[in-house]
Amino acid sequence: MSSADRAAFSQEKIVLTIAAAMFVAFSLLLDGFFTAGNIVSLVQNVSILGVLGVGMALTIIGRGIDLSMVANMAISVAWVLFLANGGTPLPLAILCGLAFCLTVGLLNGILIAYLEIPAIFATLAMGTAVYGFGQSMLIEGDVIFVPRTEAWFKAIGGSTIMGIPSPVIWFAAIGAAVAALLGFTRPGRFIFGMGDNPLAARITGVPMRPMMVAQYVASSLIAFAAGVFTATLVDSMNTRVAASTLIYDVILVAVIGGIGLSGGKGGVRNVVVGTLLIGTLLNGMTIMDVPYTVQNIVKSLILLVAIVTDSILNPRDEQTSQQGDI
Amino acid sequence: MTALIETRSISKAYRGVPAVNQVSFTLERGEIHALLGENGAGKSTLTKMMAGVVQPTGGELLVDGRAVTYANPAEALRDGIVMVFQETSLVPSMTVAQNLYLGDESFFNRLRGLYIAAQQFLQSLNFNVDPWATVATLGAAKKQMVEIARAVRQNARVIIFDEPTASLTPEEKHHFFALIRRLTARGVSIVFISHALEEALQISDRITILRDGEHVSTDLAANFSRERIIREMVGRDLTGALYSRSRARLPGKPALDVRNLSMGQAVRNNSFTVYSGQVTGVFGLIGSGRTETAKIVAGILKRDFFHGGEVRIGADPVRYRVPRAAILDGVCYVTEDRKLEGFFETMSIAENLQMGELTARSHSGFVLRMAEMQTLADEWRNRLAIRSGDADARVIELSGGNQQKVVIAKSLVQKPSVIIFDEPTRGVDVGAIAEIHALINRLADDGLAVMVISSYLPEILNLSDRILVSQRGRIVEEFSPETATQENIMYAAVH
Ligand SMILES: Nc1ncnc2c1ncn2[C@@H]1O[C@H](COP(=O)(O)OP(=O)(O)OP(=O)(O)O)[C@@H](O)[C@H]1O
Ligand SMILES: [Mg+2]
Repeated sequence: MSSADRAAFSQEKIVLTIAAAMFVAFSLLLDGFFTAGNIVSLVQNVSILGVLGVGMALTIIGRGIDLSMVANMAISVAWVLFLANGGTPLPLAILCGLAFCLTVGLLNGILIAYLEIPAIFATLAMGTAVYGFGQSMLIEGDVIFVPRTEAWFKAIGGSTIMGIPSPVIWFAAIGAAVAALLGFTRPGRFIFGMGDNPLAARITGVPMRPMMVAQYVASSLIAFAAGVFTATLVDSMNTRVAASTLIYDVILVAVIGGIGLSGGKGGVRNVVVGTLLIGTLLNGMTIMDVPYTVQNIVKSLILLVAIVTDSILNPRDEQTSQQGDI
Repeated sequence: MTALIETRSISKAYRGVPAVNQVSFTLERGEIHALLGENGAGKSTLTKMMAGVVQPTGGELLVDGRAVTYANPAEALRDGIVMVFQETSLVPSMTVAQNLYLGDESFFNRLRGLYIAAQQFLQSLNFNVDPWATVATLGAAKKQMVEIARAVRQNARVIIFDEPTASLTPEEKHHFFALIRRLTARGVSIVFISHALEEALQISDRITILRDGEHVSTDLAANFSRERIIREMVGRDLTGALYSRSRARLPGKPALDVRNLSMGQAVRNNSFTVYSGQVTGVFGLIGSGRTETAKIVAGILKRDFFHGGEVRIGADPVRYRVPRAAILDGVCYVTEDRKLEGFFETMSIAENLQMGELTARSHSGFVLRMAEMQTLADEWRNRLAIRSGDADARVIELSGGNQQKVVIAKSLVQKPSVIIFDEPTRGVDVGAIAEIHALINRLADDGLAVMVISSYLPEILNLSDRILVSQRGRIVEEFSPETATQENIMYAAVH
């Protein structure tokens, strides 16, 4: 185990334990929780959240954040469907959507790396801009349906392989790819270095700006992929999701698993753990018919508990905390 | 009479590895007690236990003869024990007075009263600090004064200084020593950690030496000599190896040529040349523009756009916009502020060195080679005698001197051809200073162009083949080490 993992280890363990306990409790107490149908839908829904979480993790570990992911996903994929419904061949429509979300990622990266705008503002503004631009210029209506003719397209997110829903397989594949990138490649180490200490990374000679741009391009591409899975799973894309609290769930999934918001900490494993917890929780609460607002309160309480427990278990060195790092 | 602070067989272990092992130590009223030892000997850890920053895992802590356990620094403060870290804990954007009375609500309503009280208080201590000044604008010594004043105002009876003099100019040091003598006259006891042995001999009443977390000896300062301290710190005689130098090396080709370099007020029309195969020492007072000059050369800062001057590496004029470009040309800058911009704190030694390896100009490839990373780490751990609790330890858990060695090693891994060391031995023990100096000499012997920036004159005199003196943003004089004396270098730096 590398030392970078060790810092995030205990929170990860706590969260995993809570998730397991909750799963057992729901299975015993809730009718209809531990049924094949429900478990399949649980992992299916949660996989897409997990894919988004992986993209978010990539930016957070590098001491950034991408708040435009959900808007980017909704608009680029909705545009693909809209074009296809209007007669554009689907492969061409997909290329258009891909180009759109690449542009958004590039713009994010340039704003943050070259114009030095804090990531949180740049991507927040970008998310709003993308949603507004998409709604007014690219597509008409909120809900765009997947064209009926293209079976291969629907199979991306809407099929099962040996009983496993395809979004789960995609989550595993994308998670594994990003984990390999972070753990075993040069850019991966650079991302950790930038998150740990940006000044040191710069002086050591990490190509900061190209790396930042690459990060936001990667998170955009992952958002596009998540969008395709969503659309093909439920046969449509509802662009209103861009205005929902989904983006906070994505951050929650990353942070609760132990990816520190101050960067340089955690990995894909933490996203998986966070996803399991949030997925189980949301599913259980939905079965219990807990009102939406109460669900949000529960989610935020869980996040607070995880952070507090972590800070008790991993007390910070006095000399370190005096530096006032975030 | 009972001692003010007494530790009885106190121990602290991190993950089972002892950092301090059964140390018994006493602090008497009104004394200055120096705590010496190699990097990682446990000096900081021992004092942090007294100040409630970390909690002992064994033994007893007695204050006024009463057994105490401090859960945090606030509880130690209630007994009048304060620790002043090397990195200050002042709020940089606030004024001196606001910092002094931070947390003292009753004063917030009477703003002018705050400044008058601060003024009177600083005067009573004989501190020449303007209460209206913003802390960020103060020099290191003044910041330390404010920190001390705050400690005194909180009725400190014991002030623990962890390497307080490392970033002070000779003159500031002088003030600082006078100051702590005044404090002891008021009945305050001082614990003082330092790697400058002469200072400890000169200022302290008693000296305690630690080695590998264990107590070696405690005695009156008068009974110690430099040789005895080193012998007891290191556990063997080392004096022969220290500070012996050979003949000055002759200059090779000019490797770095700076002409009329300017950046705002910090660097003004600075010109000098660094040759390969030589160590060029740059002496100057803190704030004389040495660091800024080096950072411009290495692409970390930017020179003025108009009339900014010229930098040549070899024969080529360069204007690096990012440090990466400099590193690709083989120009490395080893920072003076290791914590802020030197190391990656959540990473292990091996991972830190790997960052150097991955950014080196010779590196290509995408996939990491993990086995190589481990060999690299083992190699450098041996070469620089980097000590850590366990091999996986994060760099933030290393002692200050060992962190410095990691930062140096990280740059050397990049195999530069021009290397600039900025205060390479700040906070490093005598043995390690000898090792680092030997290493720097070897680099020059191997043909690198080496520039060493230091505010410590003996270091400059011992290392350099040429000595440049910087003053107010420019190099004003050059000496050869044969003819230079401490006096004429100092004169050039000040006048
Ligand atoms: N938070 C920590 N976690 C793990 N090990 C630690 C921690 N802090 C210190 N250590 C270890 O304890 C030992 C003593 O460290 P300490 O900082 O007390 O040394 P020191 O005498 O102050 O050295 P220096 O002169 O270099 O500052 C070192 O081996 C260090 O690696
Ligand atoms: Mg120390």
